[in-house]
Amino acid sequence: MEVTMTHYLVLAALLFLTGMTGFIVRRNAIVMLMCVELMLAATNIVFAVFARAHADGGGHVFILMNFAIAAAEAAIGLAILVEIYRRRRTVNVDDLKALME
Amino acid sequence: METFLFWFCGAAMVLGGLMTVVQRSAVVSAVWLIFAFVAAAGIFALLHAPFVAILQVLVYAGAIMVLFLFVIMMLQGPVLEGERRRMKPALWPAVAIPPLAVLVLVGTRIADHGTAAFTTPLPAGFGSPTHVAELLLGRYLLAFELISIALLVAIIGALAIGKEERKLPWK
Repeated sequence: MEVTMTHYLVLAALLFLTGMTGFIVRRNAIVMLMCVELMLAATNIVFAVFARAHADGGGHVFILMNFAIAAAEAAIGLAILVEIYRRRRTVNVDDLKALME
Repeated sequence: METFLFWFCGAAMVLGGLMTVVQRSAVVSAVWLIFAFVAAAGIFALLHAPFVAILQVLVYAGAIMVLFLFVIMMLQGPVLEGERRRMKPALWPAVAIPPLAVLVLVGTRIADHGTAAFTTPLPAGFGSPTHVAELLLGRYLLAFELISIALLVAIIGALAIGKEERKLPWK
């Protein structure tokens, strides 16, 4: 069977759903951030698919933008987690519910 | 050949994503995520985006994941206490139903309309560094400059969060 655009889009959807489920299920804040990265990678694939479909390089440019955003998100997210760990000695989101109570 | 590579890279990527979610140790999760990102680079190469494929390995699998591994190893042992507990069975449907609903929707849509092939022919040099650079510094120059400011703000923010509070310049 020939590989079509739909195949790539379904692959991206599967990855996004995996990342989404992981974000809900996992309790480790660092792994939750990694699941966000997985979702961003899935959107990158969609950008690449439509760049290919329309023969327009704009999609590639916005994948690069997405790289920058992922890097910024990882840097700030991890800085916040390190600071939380310094104060609370944990990165388990079940233990970090000061705002909930 | 393209078909084989698609299924190979696609299966590797889905496996990497699933193992990232399933593995209890954060370090093992991170290594599987690197695996998934390298497979994603293969998918980009199949989609005629060689420059993006190389950057995916360099920036994502290289730089960003090293940052993650560094923080994991700095902070804690491999497994958190909270992840040893099983999730309450009452929560399983809440987690499983949204993804399944999306998959059923996608499946019915494909069953009704079939698959869509790539029809537009690609110009020579599509996705090469030259092609991407011409767009990045031409049509998308404003976005390029704005993202550089966003990165700068992120760097300053990360520094401000990481520093001890009383040593911040505005205190």
